[in-house]
Amino acid sequence: MTKPTMIICIALLTMAVVAPIDAQDSESVPELSGVWDGGPRARPVNGPDMPWTSENFPVLNERALAFQKVFDEAISPKYDCVPSTPPALVYDPYMMEVVQWPDRVLFRYEKDDQLRTVWLDSREPTPMDYSLQGVSVGHYEEGALHVTTSHYTFDVTGFDDYNGIPSSQMKKVTERYWREGNQLKMRLTVEDEMFLREPASFTTQWDPGPEGYKLQAYGCDPEIARHPVRFLVPKYK
Amino acid sequence: MKVWLWVAAVATAVAAIIIAVDVSVDAHHASAPFYDNTKSAEVNGEVTRFLFRNPHSFLFVDAEGENGETVAWEIEMGTAIMMSRRGWSPDTIKVGDRIKAVGQPSRAPGTYGMCCAELTHPDGSPIRAAD
Repeated sequence: MTKPTMIICIALLTMAVVAPIDAQDSESVPELSGVWDGGPRARPVNGPDMPWTSENFPVLNERALAFQKVFDEAISPKYDCVPSTPPALVYDPYMMEVVQWPDRVLFRYEKDDQLRTVWLDSREPTPMDYSLQGVSVGHYEEGALHVTTSHYTFDVTGFDDYNGIPSSQMKKVTERYWREGNQLKMRLTVEDEMFLREPASFTTQWDPGPEGYKLQAYGCDPEIARHPVRFLVPKYK
Repeated sequence: MKVWLWVAAVATAVAAIIIAVDVSVDAHHASAPFYDNTKSAEVNGEVTRFLFRNPHSFLFVDAEGENGETVAWEIEMGTAIMMSRRGWSPDTIKVGDRIKAVGQPSRAPGTYGMCCAELTHPDGSPIRAAD
């Protein structure tokens, strides 16, 4: 093989590898960027039965039920400003900002000042990557952003803020984001074989945020966060 | 013309009531473990502190207790972010203001907490976010 031929072959091989990553069909990449309102205007406010209702409430295994029974509200990490994680974080009634870059999508949450990065480069998380918000990887397909997040650390209230359901390092959250009219829609599924007998899902939406709105700093105050705990009747002495 | 004035007056009154009514819907935590929703407490007193913060704002009010002693009430309110969207600011209520609060009392014996409170001036007029 001559040198020019070899160069051409290498170039063709390179294009064959690179092209599928770069050539995002514009029709398959939805416009998700912007500030989105997850407050009461867009959807029912979260609570013990929202978004987990009688119809989609997770089926807990014996381990989860045992945890629930001994759970003491006072130990919930949020009273010391530990940020929440999905699925709770994505349903909190605050603003969210989405920024789409070629190699990643950034989700910034007003609640707890959180930033989630969804990598679009097919990276595989490693055991070194366990963290509060885990590692998110995603891709565009058929007009939606598909996100898979894993490698969460254990969280005693990692499922939601109300039901005392923990989540383990095996929690996996998949999200699909798409546009319907001026709304941002999302379908979330959470799996955690340590505590759930089967995956649990909900679908939700955001309205466009106010024109020109900039996310405010949450700046959780640790002293004031724990302040209401004194009003609990202690479960344990 | 009179109809429009009437409509405007009703709309203003409704808006004022909404502002005066409970601003603690911030979804940080359920209120039931902390406050007894089967009971109602009423406090008339003087503001000693107003913490406009996240994840909760708190209003501290000194009021007279049953035996004439001063009781320090702590009224939990919503997040500063949510309240600011409804026009509230750290200056909406000032130290020294006299207010009336009606809400759910805290569960732990010996504590004087309150949530889900309706806040008004002592004469019952609503506390407006622009006050």
